[in-house]
Parts: sequence; structure tokens; C-alpha cells
Amino acid sequence: MNIALLGMTLLGGVLLSAQSSINGAFGQKAGALESTFSTFFTGMLLLALAVLFFGQGDVLLILDAPRWQLSAVWFGVSYLFLTILAVPKIGVTAASIATVIGQLSAGMVLDHFGTFGGVEVAFDVKRFAGLLFMLAALFFIYRGNKRRVETPASDSIAS
Amino acid sequence: MKFIYYLLALLAGISLSIEGAIYGELGNSIGKLESSFYNFFAGTIIIGIITLFFGKGSLGYTFKAPKWTLLGGLLGSIYLTILIISIPLVGVGLAMISVIIGQMVASMIIEHKGWLGSPRIAINKDKLIASGLMVIALFLIF
Repeated sequence: MNIALLGMTLLGGVLLSAQSSINGAFGQKAGALESTFSTFFTGMLLLALAVLFFGQGDVLLILDAPRWQLSAVWFGVSYLFLTILAVPKIGVTAASIATVIGQLSAGMVLDHFGTFGGVEVAFDVKRFAGLLFMLAALFFIYRGNKRRVETPASDSIAS
Repeated sequence: MKFIYYLLALLAGISLSIEGAIYGELGNSIGKLESSFYNFFAGTIIIGIITLFFGKGSLGYTFKAPKWTLLGGLLGSIYLTILIISIPLVGVGLAMISVIIGQMVASMIIEHKGWLGSPRIAINKDKLIASGLMVIALFLIF
């Protein structure tokens, strides 16, 4: 059961990479802002259906939710827009790894202070070592990319 | 230079973490699917206004584009739903590790093959070293 779930989560990561590539490619043609908009718009339509059929909460409670919780959307928009800007320039691998590093570093800071009401996890030596390993990884990705052989992006899924 | 785009991607990751932490709280009060919906709904409004005033591209291209390039929103929603289902059952740490590993392997294959409109960049020794370092880092952090 847990193995199947982990497999699904792995697939989630695969989908996220696929999304970055697709959005990056679309953004090259339609524009970065336009690509972000299309993604949000189609996501909204799909989730509207999902909430209608499977929603167990109450959408209307949004009106009563604390304002600071609603501000998360600015970060959601920033994430997608910045990804669409970065992917065509540095490639999906470098963009994904840099994103993961930003995510984990910020996550460790939020954990340490228990910001936003999450569980408090102190920043210790192991986590610091993890941070160093991630910075080394970023360096290797950067170096690997400088030597890349580039061919023009193709329009088909399989080329 | 290119360097700035690495910073942008780092910033994207920081945003993702903050977003996740806050939505965890919102999800507890209004529901998880509802929080995702709120994100995409309010996001559509924000980016819609920005695009209206500052968009230099062509939104009309959406209708001419190959249909598979429109699947970004679908994939993002499936990803979010998978996470919502699995985190309570396997824990955030394990979920994050498998997402990240899936992401690294998939992006290297996509890039190596030049699939999904990605520029083709061959897998090289540096990238393999980088993924090895990331795996070590993940186990140190979680």
C-alpha cells in the first residue's frame, strides 16, 4: 500500500517536471505571462469541477479565512511565473534542482521558526550538511550546463 | 547573464515552500481541494490583470497551439491532488523525497531526449554527480 503511494508520489514529481517543460515551451511562443495565465485558468476550471464533485470542505469559508492565509496566492503565482522564465534559459533539470534547493532551504527556515503554525523542527548540523551538499549539487548543475550541446526545441512530443 | 535565471529558479522554490506552508493552514480550515481551487481562482485573477496590462505575448496563440502544450494546468492539478492524498499517509519527508527524485530523473530524461519542447541537453557526468549529491542532501535533511 505504502509502496504504491510512494510510486504515485514519484509520478507526481515526474508530472511536475513535465509541466515545467510544457509551460516553458508554450511560454516561448505565447509569452511568459500568457503561459502563466493559461496554466492558472485551466487549473481553475479543472479544480472547480473537482471541488463540485469531490470537495469535502466549504469554499465559502474563504471569505472568513484570515487575510494572511489568503496571501499565499502571490507566492503561487510567483512560483509558476519564475519557473516559466527560467526553464527555457537554463533547462528543466537545472531549473528543477534550483527550485528544489530554494524550496528545501526556505522549508528549513520555516521549520526552524515554526512560521505559519507548522511543526517546529530545529536547524541542526545534519541539516546544515544537507544544505552544503545541495549547494555543491547546484554548482555541478551549473558547470554541466555550461558545456551543454544545444539543439533547437522541437514542436513534437517525441522527436 | 544565465546566473540570474538560477536565482529566479531558487526564488521560485522559496515561493513554493511559503505557499505550501500557508496553504497547509488554510487547508485545515476550508478543505484541501478548496484551498487548491482558491489558489488557481485568485491566481487567475491576479495574473489575468497583470497580463492585460503588461502582456507582450499573444494569448490568442492558445487557440492555435498544439493541444498538448495546454496540459500544464492539468498536470499541476494532478500533482497537487496526489500530494494531498499521500502526505497524510506516508509523511511529508518521504513524500518530498520521492517527489524530488521523480522530478530529477524525469527532467534529466526529458532534457536528454529533448521531449515536450525542451531544449536537448545531453546527460553528463556533472549532472549525475549533482543528483547523487541531492540524494545525500535529502537523507541528511529528512
